[in-house]
Amino acid sequence: MSAAISDLSRVRDEAGEVLAVEALGGGLVEIAARLPHLAAQARPGEFAQLRCGAGIEPLLRRPFSVAWTDGERCGFVLEAVGVGTRILVALRPGDPLQALGPLGSGFSFEPTPARALVVSGGLGCAPFPLLIRELRRGGCPEVVVLNGAATASRLYPADRFQRGDRGVVVAEATEDGSRGHHGLVTDLVADRCDETTLVYGCGPNPMLAALAEVLLCVPRPPLRAEVSLEAPMGCGFGTCLGCALPVVADPSSWAGGEPAMADGDGAAIRSGRGSSTGRRPAAWALCCRQGPVMEVSRVAWPELLALPPAHIA
Amino acid sequence: MNVSSRISAPGLPGGGASERPANAGDPLDPRRSPDLRADLGRGLVMPNPVGLASGTAGYGFELRQLMPLERLGALFTKGTTLHPRDGNPPPRVAEVRGGMLNSIGLQNPGVEHVAAEYAPQFARWAIPVVVNIAGGSLDEYVHCLAHLDTAPGISGYELNISCPNIANGLDFGRSPAAAGHLVAAARTQTPRHLMVKLSPNVTDIAAVARAVEEAGADSISAVNTYIGMKVHRGIRAPVLPGRGTGGLSGPVIKPLALAAVAQVRAAVRVPVVGIGGIINADDALEFLLAGADAVQVGTATFVNPTAALEILEGLVEMAIRQGARSLAQLGGR
Repeated sequence: MSAAISDLSRVRDEAGEVLAVEALGGGLVEIAARLPHLAAQARPGEFAQLRCGAGIEPLLRRPFSVAWTDGERCGFVLEAVGVGTRILVALRPGDPLQALGPLGSGFSFEPTPARALVVSGGLGCAPFPLLIRELRRGGCPEVVVLNGAATASRLYPADRFQRGDRGVVVAEATEDGSRGHHGLVTDLVADRCDETTLVYGCGPNPMLAALAEVLLCVPRPPLRAEVSLEAPMGCGFGTCLGCALPVVADPSSWAGGEPAMADGDGAAIRSGRGSSTGRRPAAWALCCRQGPVMEVSRVAWPELLALPPAHIA
Repeated sequence: MNVSSRISAPGLPGGGASERPANAGDPLDPRRSPDLRADLGRGLVMPNPVGLASGTAGYGFELRQLMPLERLGALFTKGTTLHPRDGNPPPRVAEVRGGMLNSIGLQNPGVEHVAAEYAPQFARWAIPVVVNIAGGSLDEYVHCLAHLDTAPGISGYELNISCPNIANGLDFGRSPAAAGHLVAAARTQTPRHLMVKLSPNVTDIAAVARAVEEAGADSISAVNTYIGMKVHRGIRAPVLPGRGTGGLSGPVIKPLALAAVAQVRAAVRVPVVGIGGIINADDALEFLLAGADAVQVGTATFVNPTAALEILEGLVEMAIRQGARSLAQLGGR
């Protein structure tokens, strides 16, 4: 099957205003900004390209999942790891914030699952508050969040996933055992997964690859599993072709060598077969339009793990 | 109202279809505007001097959903090759101070697809579309032109003789004799406008410019990206895979590109289209003053999809302020 391609018709470059910048602990920072268009339009898993200052250092915008929306406000969760994110976390209320979005293909939540399993690793929490709210609004009776991090201080606070909704259950795991399950968050998946479950994952690539492997072995595989990925990104809207991710080649789309996908205007975003080394042919898909959310089965995990970490710096 | 506010209007579709009546405050109102057309010869007339550079605008389909693309001077498409190309393994882009490196590897759907599927759409657009062609051999360029030349909607070709990211991609661009040979062969294939995009990664760009002019190029665009490298201290290796190098673009290359444009301008009589790190109207004016007849905006579009339009608006405002009635007057020639 062909993957979805992002809808550019809702994209706008919006001049917003920072409302709050909050250190959550462990380096995680949550920014709230007034961005009415993005707040009204963003769907779970979609992202915005944020300008980091007004100069040419850094030159490129940085992509961030829309973490939550509330009226005219949007939230983003990030960490200062480079020149761009350092500028963002130093913003103060009242500062301008330029956001291009919503971008990307988000999570799917049709049909409404009997249970949603949200698997978050570290900063991978970013897209989930909005997803959880929409799942619950759509009538999903049970949302279980499995939230993992290296250590307790880096756990996104449980009440920010829940936002007062008692139907959202959070279980935590830390690699150092400082809170919750001592070990990997993916250890918690198998017991909570059955054929009525939709699984959503976001986090570092090794964690997502572990999730994919767990899901292959669970006694009762889920209805569907999707992950949100990231890649070094130039534009965010599909013209620079810079954010290629390795995906499993789709033989059906390659009959006759025709381009694999086309958007409404007939613009093909071609999935190319990788020339790389893998046992099976990998294709490239653009993180910004065919992602960032992809079905677990579509990702070429060994090839993805071979890539250098893609920090959003 | 100005362009910026119009393009941020809610729900604005791409293209010029929904344009509102011209308004006296609009610097692009033709009743007020100076004539900034750039006639590059052999039928390629840019209605204004600001184009979108190859490799930064795809084939226009994405950007026309984000901005009124058709108000610009020309669209220079993604580099198109005879056969579809998958592109290079990731990572393909890396940011550097004041710019970025790319090693996309000419990912494109191939010339047949462009001719059959895209060109008929170009024919309905108001903006001139110039198809950028790349190849690894003279035959590939010639066959590309043969495929495209019967297609509608194409105002000309930009021969990319200088892509730094494919094997042999620089060979034509490095040697004046090889470049001239290629352009002479291309010239026999098409009556359409033939622009040649030069590589800056050469010893004597003026010599290559003279060679392609003598071989029949109608115009020259300069410059393509500079070969650059970013090294990752963590992995103790280049960020980009393969040779570790990529094409450097963005504001960091502007002074280099201006020098190259001035050298080319001094070497040839055909029109010159300046490219390299233009992010605002002041930058564009500098290229015009250095001898360019028009400009292409590239990397700036990644940062701001409406950058080229804002640059155009700025040039028009400058022209009005200076009392310039033509592009030649604005460029001081």
